[in-house]
Amino acid sequence: MRPFTYVLPTSLEQAAEAATQPDTIVKAAGIDIVDRMKERLVTPQKVVNLLPLKRELSQIAEQNGEVTIGAMVTLTQLQEAKQLQGRAYDGLRRAASTTGTPQVQNRATVAGNLLQFTRCWYVRSEAFRCLHGGRGPTCLAMTGDNRYHAVMGWSDCVRVHPSNLAPALLALGAEYTTRAGEAVRRRKLADLFPADPRAQNPEHTLEDGEIVTALHLPAQPADTRLGYAESREKQSFDWATTACAVRVVMAGGKITAADLVLGAVGPVPMAKPQAAQLLVGKEPSEKLFLRVAEAAFAGATPLAFNAYKLPIGKAVVRAALEEATR
Amino acid sequence: MSHPPDRGVSRRSFLKGSAIAGIATTGLTAAAEAAELHRPPSELGPGEHEITLSINGKARLVKVETRTTLLDALRDRLDLTGAKKICDRGACGGCTVLVDDLPVNSCLMLAVDAVGCELRTVEGLADPADPKATHPLVQNFVACDALQCGFCTPGMVMSSLSCLERRGTPTEAQMRHDLSGNLCRCGTYGRVMEAIERTAKGEGGGR
Ligand SMILES: Cc1cc2nc3c(=O)[nH]c(=O)nc-3n(C[C@H](O)[C@H](O)[C@H](O)COP(=O)(O)OP(=O)(O)OC[C@H]3O[C@@H](n4cnc5c(N)ncnc54)[C@H](O)[C@@H]3O)c2cc1C
Ligand code: FES
Ligand code: FES
Repeated sequence: MRPFTYVLPTSLEQAAEAATQPDTIVKAAGIDIVDRMKERLVTPQKVVNLLPLKRELSQIAEQNGEVTIGAMVTLTQLQEAKQLQGRAYDGLRRAASTTGTPQVQNRATVAGNLLQFTRCWYVRSEAFRCLHGGRGPTCLAMTGDNRYHAVMGWSDCVRVHPSNLAPALLALGAEYTTRAGEAVRRRKLADLFPADPRAQNPEHTLEDGEIVTALHLPAQPADTRLGYAESREKQSFDWATTACAVRVVMAGGKITAADLVLGAVGPVPMAKPQAAQLLVGKEPSEKLFLRVAEAAFAGATPLAFNAYKLPIGKAVVRAALEEATR
Repeated sequence: MSHPPDRGVSRRSFLKGSAIAGIATTGLTAAAEAAELHRPPSELGPGEHEITLSINGKARLVKVETRTTLLDALRDRLDLTGAKKICDRGACGGCTVLVDDLPVNSCLMLAVDAVGCELRTVEGLADPADPKATHPLVQNFVACDALQCGFCTPGMVMSSLSCLERRGTPTEAQMRHDLSGNLCRCGTYGRVMEAIERTAKGEGGGR
């Protein structure tokens, strides 16, 4: 790690101002960013530490059914929060509980999880010069060892978005609030991820110095359920190879509304509205789930070493649906 | 914020910044208070500075850079070499210590971020001068032969301790969960769980 100046803000105002300085990054728990600084993939002159703002940014509150989650709530706190115990949040708690290890969950923050850098081993290694971030001429994973890479949604870079929480939060229709200088903005969580995820585009759409302060989960209709399932090579210490979060609203034995989001298969979390639409107005059944799973992966284009993601990913979609409609 | 090199940084002045600490003592007017809040934030580094860490109940002064991890501070600066540096990337659990009672990877935590936290390391569970004071969990690790090469053991002990403290009498599923952030290549998990169970039952040393 290169030496850096550590900025300790005492207020969000100070943090937001400090974060706009040149050659400056913000840091939450640091689980991702310290790793990247050790690899010298990031060598900032200044690091703005958000931890002093933890009290302010780690509240969870419910009002008229809308749940606001502070950006610095840890994955452990998320699982324990009394506002998030209902079935509408089952999949969110599960996504948090399968993340890494208990040690990671005890420190990792919600915003840090959403904003973590890709796990692509070419991008994350100082030794490789790939197209990502303009370091080299081509995406090395496209023709290299791409067993953990994208099967859909890519153009010139086949990285995947690794966050466990992203599919679950997106399926719940989450929004996020940011602070940049004096400006406070609230947008749909889907806007946090680039619409055209190219190698040159950053992983997220935040402006330099923009700080995420909270996530918001809209009030859910009665009998909303969130299912989450994933595949991974190891039961802990690992990132998912495929993931699926599915939100269903049930009434009279039928599904009246649905959202489906895939994780770890594309450069951004992949919402699948057409697949979700197949569920609406239907009674849950094995046959229906098979059709939805096929639709979720329709048009997928696997690379040389990751075709396994298609059958496994479809099974994961069905598992998430079964969990949600049980 | 500038600190005399020979003085520790208290939690308050460190985290809240000297500006805020000043308000409490001098009783500023509202206008002056607002001006204080608009002062630039305090900064540390990039060079070395002294911080105070609370480790196993004792305040310890230690010189670190901003980039020094808690693990390096413990091992290289404080000679607390129980926590092990194996992967240095959060991917093994060998460096597990308790921070405010929760197990964390000290290799991914900056030492300066530990100011104001209660830290516990495996060294806190035994006193070489008084073998009888050895924590029953450690005695049970020995009694159950819950280690082979022993490299993962300090981290494993700390995760086990937190499991016991939080759960009292943990179920097998809970033990498996709580040990899932500690890799053991020698495969000692079964015996580690035995050691946890014996400790939960109030049994000390001797099988
Ligand atoms: C062994 C291991 C296994 C893992 N497995 C998984 C897994 O299975 N699934 C998964 O999803 N993750 C996994 N992770 C990743 C982990 O969840 C993330 O590293 C962690 O959530 C990052 O959170 P943080 O608070 O430490 O963020 P930091 O490392 O502090 O920050 C990460 C990024 O977010 C930015 N940032 C953070 N907070 C804010 C904010 N409030 N506003 C603006 N920008 C911000 C930082 O600038 C930085 O770029 C694993 C990590 C390890 C070490
Ligand atoms: S050394 Fe910290 S987890 Fe491996
Ligand atoms: S005892 Fe050898 S690694 Fe665990």
